[in-house]
Amino acid sequence: MAEVRLSHIVKGYGTQLAVNDLSLTVNDGEFVALVGPSGCGKTTTLNLTAGLIELTGGEIHIGDRNVTDLDPKDRDIAMVFQNYALYPNKSVYKNLAFPLQMRRTPKADIDRKIREAARLLDIEHLLERRPRELSGGQQQRVALGRALVRDPKVFLMDEPLSNLDAKLRVQMRAELKRFHHDLSATIIYVTHDQLEAVTMADRMAVMHGGLLQQYDTPERVFEAPVNVFVAGFVGSPAMNLVPAQVTEGGAALESPQGWRCTLSPENARKARAASSRDVVLGARHSTITLSPTPLPGGIEGRVYTLEPTGDITFVHVRLGNDTLVISTPPATRFAPNAPVWLGVDQTKLHLFDAATGMALRAA
Amino acid sequence: MANARPGLLRRIVRHRADYLYVAPALLVMLLVIAYPIYDTIYLSFFNTPPNLALEDKIFIGLGNYQRILGMDSFHEATWNTFVWTVFSTLFAFVLGFGAALALNREFVGRGLMRGILLIPYVISAVAASYIWRWLYHSDFGVIGAISVAIGLTENPINFLDSTDFVMASLIVVNVWKEFPFAMIMMLAGLQTVPDQLLRAAQVDGAGPWHRFWHITVPHLKGVTLVTVLLLLVANLNSFTIPWIMTGGGPAGASEIWITHIYQLAFGRIRFGLASAYSVILFIVMMGMGYFYVRALTKGDAK
Amino acid sequence: MKRRDPWRIGGAVFLAGLTIFALLPMAWMLITSLKTQFAALQYPPQWLPKNPTLEQYSLLLSPGNPVGQEFLRYLFNSLWVSFASTVLGVVVAVPAAYAFSRFRFPGRNLLFYSVLLRNMFPAVVFLMPLFIMMRWLGLVNTQASLILTYLTFGLPLSIWLLKGFYDNIPVQLEQAARIDGASRFQAFILIVMPLSSPGIIATAIYSFIMAWNEYVYALTFINNAERLTLPVGLQRFFTEYATNWPGLMAASFIMSVPVVALFLVLQKYFVRALTEGAVKS
Repeated sequence: MAEVRLSHIVKGYGTQLAVNDLSLTVNDGEFVALVGPSGCGKTTTLNLTAGLIELTGGEIHIGDRNVTDLDPKDRDIAMVFQNYALYPNKSVYKNLAFPLQMRRTPKADIDRKIREAARLLDIEHLLERRPRELSGGQQQRVALGRALVRDPKVFLMDEPLSNLDAKLRVQMRAELKRFHHDLSATIIYVTHDQLEAVTMADRMAVMHGGLLQQYDTPERVFEAPVNVFVAGFVGSPAMNLVPAQVTEGGAALESPQGWRCTLSPENARKARAASSRDVVLGARHSTITLSPTPLPGGIEGRVYTLEPTGDITFVHVRLGNDTLVISTPPATRFAPNAPVWLGVDQTKLHLFDAATGMALRAA
Repeated sequence: MANARPGLLRRIVRHRADYLYVAPALLVMLLVIAYPIYDTIYLSFFNTPPNLALEDKIFIGLGNYQRILGMDSFHEATWNTFVWTVFSTLFAFVLGFGAALALNREFVGRGLMRGILLIPYVISAVAASYIWRWLYHSDFGVIGAISVAIGLTENPINFLDSTDFVMASLIVVNVWKEFPFAMIMMLAGLQTVPDQLLRAAQVDGAGPWHRFWHITVPHLKGVTLVTVLLLLVANLNSFTIPWIMTGGGPAGASEIWITHIYQLAFGRIRFGLASAYSVILFIVMMGMGYFYVRALTKGDAK
Repeated sequence: MKRRDPWRIGGAVFLAGLTIFALLPMAWMLITSLKTQFAALQYPPQWLPKNPTLEQYSLLLSPGNPVGQEFLRYLFNSLWVSFASTVLGVVVAVPAAYAFSRFRFPGRNLLFYSVLLRNMFPAVVFLMPLFIMMRWLGLVNTQASLILTYLTFGLPLSIWLLKGFYDNIPVQLEQAARIDGASRFQAFILIVMPLSSPGIIATAIYSFIMAWNEYVYALTFINNAERLTLPVGLQRFFTEYATNWPGLMAASFIMSVPVVALFLVLQKYFVRALTEGAVKS
């Protein structure tokens, strides 16, 4: 296993930059998720790392080798594709054998390694089957097996779970995490599903518009998103983000929708750092409390609808034209259009500069 | 390509291995396609001797073109070509599209039916021409015999020897031969009409005619364009059926551009003249080619 | 649901009429080929042969008599020319089609559209210069001239059809192979080629049929009876045995059998080959 270093990599198509000056280092044995909405450049970054497409600029190192100009076959990497890319005309056994044959591994070793990988992934009984005779989860394991038979330096995974049904995805998520632990493998994992990134990765790299937005542990990304995009992207349901204006020299926020909210001294200092009066207030669903009766300092809103999920009920509340989603205990009952009062946990509040989108820090 | 983008050369060098894949094809194409086109245009400016001793050719500029445009037989052939191309295309398309619509639903024996209807398209045009010559035969032809038997005419019609009937008779053969092409093209097009849309329209209360007119027809625009263009081109280029069945006769009544060119080139060995004729045809084709490529690549390259 | 839909009935009637139109000429060919010459030349015609006979077929297919010898020679020539030009065309077209499908090298579009445009040019445009070229190469009256010129239509068509097939093979398969240690070329040979074999077969059959049926070039380049292909050979038969309609129909039938059989067996591929590209949703 080895570390992967991307230095100022750029990929342009015509005048558009799919990846724009991205630098990040994946430590040896680390599980890193590249996450972002479709078209954000995450798959391009992965393909650049694999060498499947050519860099427009920048350098890539794997271990202590500069692989920038090497063919994929010489980079000593393995890749798992979204559609698994199993060779449809070869049996599972031959699929697993292919990377070894390409590297002129002796026949006896090939057989031994395949048996080993098959045992590890519990696909021994499938070795003589064709890919199309396998279920999605089985194909997934075979793809994984093909990647791991030859002990690559790095595993690259391109949305490997997104073709599976929801239940299987949860199961495979756990297996992948275990697989990472057992092999202490270096893994770069591309996904559009922030939940996968948060649950599996040691660190996650959030991308948007070809740019790296934030690269940190899931906890840090969740607790301290650097900008409005990351705040809205990570977490489910998404963080509530509403525009507001700073008043009273930072002591309070005022909304064009008619509500007002006093800030704690800590938050007031942040608010004063904004480049103008316009800010965006962010609060996760779990950091707001709801009361059917007026609260001191609470914001009044109206219930729009309820979404019971069993263990949590999400209440959609309208503040003028803005809608917030707030989680409540399952027993909560509100009638649509009933007035409610929102209490905001000031310590969990996020403030962003509306002009730049960046998180505001206490000056 | 005058103002090549910076780095074009670099890109070419970077992709040099890619060209190895196309090189053999390119070489063959240059030899059997590009060079002949060049040579045709080149020869069209020369008076060539009828013994094909080409070193004795004489440059006459646009003389061949002037001669062709002034020939009565050219005007006649142009009219015939127009009639032949337009009516062959029209009827082949209408029959083909009708068949496609009728075949575009599940029923027992549908695959077999499609197969049978496609046979005329695959058999040799030479065989087809002889079969139809036999059907049209003035004394023993089965069509003449049937028309007499059911009292349509008193005597068998002389299909291929009459200046009035010959063109229509040839068009029937041509339509017979190529309606299956229109059929499978349109059938393939019909199968891309999304079922959901049709069902949604049905739920919304649209009758079969409205569904056809408002959903199916707009969806088929692209395929229709390509099919009609390909039919036009094929008809403009068709040689075998008129050549074998009538050789352009009687009295030039079924002479079209292609048979006329062939007659000039290999009957009278006037290569220069025939080349100029080809170039005229070629220009008409290029116009259609433009639309063909545009129709084919629409949506392919963003 | 099962009410009588006038559209459906109309469609069925139309289809029945069209089938008769398509089939009758072929049925008459078959019927005539089973008649004696005397029976064929009667008015009104015998709708069904009174004494059906296979004499024309045995005449054409037995090498023991001059007619059969001639016919079998044409048949063999046609097989050879069609086979050779198909193989040559496919061998050259496969890498080119693959490159057009996968690579984005400068000039790709220009080259590809000129390949497409070939479909626009009539054979006659190529006839004179190719004839001059063949004379210069000393290939007039050889089958090599036909094999070579059949590439003028076979190659662009094969490239176009094969590109469609390659477009449908997921590019991830080659990427996987390249990551697994294959070079680009190995990925093509080891992974893509075996997967595209149905496409190659379909394309080969299509160009085989085109070559088998080709008439103009054969008519112009070959006038040695030893080397004629079937379509021109058929014409020669007609001039030689002008009134032997049963013989001509039998010959037409024999000539049609291979292509119709190939076609019916592989109808699915064939239809796909024809419509590939034109129908993109």
